[in-house]
This record gives sequence, C-alpha cells and structure tokens, in this order.
Amino acid sequence: MAEFKRPDAPASTKVQQLAQHFRNLFPKRDDAPSDEQEHDFPGYREFDLKPGADALDSAWDEWRKAGEPGIKFLISPPFSGTAAIAREWAERHNWRKITAPQESELADVDIDKWWKPQASSPWIIDDLSNYWRRGTDGLAFIRALLPKLFRGELGQGLVVCDSWSFAFLQRAWPVNMPNVYCFAAADEKLMQEVGIQADEKKLKSLAARAFGNLGLALALWAVEKDDEHDLPSMPSDCHDETAFVLYTLLLHTGLSGRTLQKVLPMIAADQLDVQLLQLQQAKLISYDDEVWRITVYGYLAVRDFLRSRGFFVDAF
Amino acid sequence: METDKILGLFKTVTSDAVIEIAVVITVSVAIIWLSQRVFPWIADRLHGKQRLFVLAMIPTLRVIVFVLAIIWIVPMVIETTVQNMVAILGAAGLAIGFAMKDYVSSLIAGIVAVYELPYRPGDWIEVDGTYGEVKHIGMRAVEMVTPDDTVVFVPHLKLWTELIHNANNGGPSLMCVTSFYLTADHDAHRVKQVLEDVALTSPYVQLKQPITVIISEEPWGTHYRLKAYPIDPRQQFQFMTDLTARGKACLRALPVRFANLSPEHAVHVNP
Repeated sequence: MAEFKRPDAPASTKVQQLAQHFRNLFPKRDDAPSDEQEHDFPGYREFDLKPGADALDSAWDEWRKAGEPGIKFLISPPFSGTAAIAREWAERHNWRKITAPQESELADVDIDKWWKPQASSPWIIDDLSNYWRRGTDGLAFIRALLPKLFRGELGQGLVVCDSWSFAFLQRAWPVNMPNVYCFAAADEKLMQEVGIQADEKKLKSLAARAFGNLGLALALWAVEKDDEHDLPSMPSDCHDETAFVLYTLLLHTGLSGRTLQKVLPMIAADQLDVQLLQLQQAKLISYDDEVWRITVYGYLAVRDFLRSRGFFVDAF
Repeated sequence: METDKILGLFKTVTSDAVIEIAVVITVSVAIIWLSQRVFPWIADRLHGKQRLFVLAMIPTLRVIVFVLAIIWIVPMVIETTVQNMVAILGAAGLAIGFAMKDYVSSLIAGIVAVYELPYRPGDWIEVDGTYGEVKHIGMRAVEMVTPDDTVVFVPHLKLWTELIHNANNGGPSLMCVTSFYLTADHDAHRVKQVLEDVALTSPYVQLKQPITVIISEEPWGTHYRLKAYPIDPRQQFQFMTDLTARGKACLRALPVRFANLSPEHAVHVNP
C-alpha cells in the first residue's frame, strides 16, 4: 500500500479543485428543494470485475495455493469496487464469506463463539468496518480478533477493509500491519477500458479528480455527461454535528439510524434526524435497506468538507 | 524666536496637500475597517490552521497600513532632516512621557505583539486569571471573550509585566485535561484503558494527536487526568463535556467507586 500514488492533476484540474473547495467553504444559500424526480442523479454503471479478480490471481496465486495460515489485507477506498472484486475472486476459488458479528457478539467479545459456527479455511472478510463500532464497547472485539488473524489462528484468509476504517484502526490498534495491499490508482488506459471515451487530457483530469478511484471516476463521468445535474455540494448551514454524522458513516461504510444514534450519543435523536434529512435532501447521503450511506456523487464534497475541518481522512 | 524655530520644522501645507492627507487617512481607515470585517467573516467559514492564519492577518495588515500612511504623510508636513526629526521626536517624547505614558506604552506593546506573537486572534489565552478566546487585537488593547460570553479588554501594557498563558499558541492544537476521581482500591490499568478509549471514540477528538492518561495517588483516592486534543480549539468545552459524560458512564460499568472528599480534606469556605 505504501507504493500507492495518486494520479498527478493537470494545472486546470487543480484550479477546478481549488474552486470547488472554495464553493464548499462558502456555499450558496439553499434554494427550495424541487421535485424529487428532477434531482435524481444518473445511475452510474458498474464495471467488469473480472480483470480485477485476474489481477489478484496473478499477484496471490502462489500464496493461495500454498494454503498456509495467515492473512492479507486489501484496502478499499469508498466506491472503488475493491470489495466487489475481492468477492468475485473469492467466489472463483470457493473461499467462504465470513458473516460479520451481530451487535451482541461485538459486545460479548467472544471470538470463538462467533467463529466456530462458520469456521472454515480459506475465507474472506469482505468488509472489516462491520467488525467494530466507534464506541467504548465497540473496539474490544476487533482488538481481540486482529491478533488472531495475524497469528494465523483462523487459517488462511483475505480481509477487505475500507480505507477510512483502516485509517482509524491504525490509530486504535497502532501496530505496523504486514501484508497490506491496494489496487494501483486507475490511469487513463484503465478508464478507457471501462468505457469512458474522452481525450487523454480529459481522462487525466478525471483520474486526478477521482484520486485514481475507478468507481468514483465513473460516477463523475456520468454526472459530466448529464447536462441536468451537477455534483452535490455541502448545505450552507453545516455544524459540528453534520461533520460527525458524515465521518461516522464513512468510518462504518454506512449505519442504521439506531446504530448511528448509539455511536453518537451526544447528538439528540431529533437533531440527528434533522441532520440526516438535510444531508439526504442535499443528495450527500442516501437511505437504502434501513442503512444511511454516503452517496458516490457526494463523496468528493464530503471528503473535502471533512479534510478542511481537520478530520483524520483516509490515505487515498 | 522659539516660535519661528518650531514653525521652521514644518513645511508650508498647501490645500492640495491637505486633500491628499485626508485621502490617505480615509483610505487607510477604510482598509483597516474593511479588513476587520471581511477577514473575520472569511475566518468564520474556515477551520484549523487556515482560520488562524486569516485572523492573524488582521493586526499585521493594520500595522502595515498605519506605517505606510505615516511614511506617506510625514514628509508632506515636516522637513525630514535628521535635526528636525530629533527635535520633533524629543518634544513628542516629553509630552507622552508626562501625559499619556500608559496609553503609548500599550500602543507600543500592541506593535510588539504583532511581531512577537504572544497572542493572535483565535488563540485561547489566560491573563490575570481570565481565560478566553482572543477575538480582536486593537491598537491599545486585546479583546477576548470568556467561555461565559463576557468580553474582556486587556491592555497590551500587560505584556510587559504579566504572564500570558497561551493554550494553543497560534495552532489548532489545544490540549484538554479532563479529571476523574476514584477511590483508591481498583484496577488502575483497566481504568486507564477505558479512559483512553473514551477519548479515542469521542467524535471531537483530534486523532492525529496523542491521547494520554496520567494517574496520581492522593490521600482521598486516585486522580485520573485524561489528556487529549479536540479537532478545533473552539470545541474544547463540548469535548470535555463529552469525555466527562461518557467517561462516567463507562466507569459506572466497572467495579470502581467515585471518590468523595473526606471531611478532613474538605475546604471550608466562609461566606
């Protein structure tokens, strides 16, 4: 992961990013929300996962075939599709997908009780952010689990961890983790391969704006091709609570309202609802399957907002 | 004869020069007035280092404008020879020394404060037992607002004689210390770990900064001091409130008891 390098941004893109940063700092007063339909963003197309899974094959085939206990970490920037690629790769080789612990299991910190019913090797944990909560009773489970994983006590496995979650876990469990990998930043060639047809300068600019994140680049491209929509921006009246909600949702790649309230007890329930609705109206978060998540279109604005407020952002 | 000598120091001021001086003064005052409104407006929308940098530009810009205006105006009024300048400064010094010593001392300290930076707008300082955020640095005094929203004017003069305690010293890092008091008989390592996690899981905490717990044994029990930094110095009181509330909730779940001061250690306060 230390070798990861963001694509260089052309000067024009840097100016655009600076302008966007100032727009986020000094947002316009909100206009009255118009029809829901009118605000729907274009659906952004998912890309073919096979080349990514092939890349994992060529990188890890030797390790996989050796079958020795131990793990590899794969860091997944939000919307990059890394977790989906890892799942595709795991299915290809019949690796078992491990189910995340329930809230009660997180609190009990009984690794054996959680592990035994699904014990098998090799396996894949496809989202480590579901294995902890940012609360005083939500860290013990992962602190007990990580040493077991690194010692190989649970056999051979692949752990996919969101980049925001990983940044926090490195702070909470300050051990120099070995075998941490990530995909290289998407370049112009890769973007052409997934169907973005534009000149080289445009592709370079897109890669830089998306930090080399392929899923994000596809979403930005979808908005750019759509004349009716711009990327969402931060509402004008953002407070500390707004930042806490957004940061917590990124840390856990989405949470239910109930869990969010548990993680942020200092925000009153009605205030939390107001924040969530306001952010939903601004198209920065969405509510699907009873889970609040950051939208792919809002990610850039949210990341810039959190970074400008001094939050601990991911390395991507 | 003396009157002639004094008058000889000055140039003949034409009406054009008077207008020019008036324009220079007006423009200088307008720039200073505008900077004192625009920069805080911008700073309110920024956070961390960027906010403090913008705030720090206000007094610096004022001194620059003030000095430029003086450099512009003085040669229009006075024959700027060494002899003349010595005579005028001597006379002015004498008048100031008798009449406005403290006022001028504050003005000079204000200029010193701009380059020595004992405090900048946005800093949290304590002077003479008063703690608050520096909101404005004027020519004569610094304006600070206490946590209870009381505005306190501190003359720059204090810079010469008093200790100025600056909690964040121009940066966004401000350490908060939250105390917990427990009876002596308990597992201190367990409590220390719990308190560290309380800080680590606070949404206000600056994760780039260290979190430490200091334990000291007292006659009445054990004193825990949880030291951590909020993301923004302005959040310090909400941060400490969050740490206290969640810290107490976590400690209540442990086999520990909160310490009560025994009668022999109680401080008796006379009405």
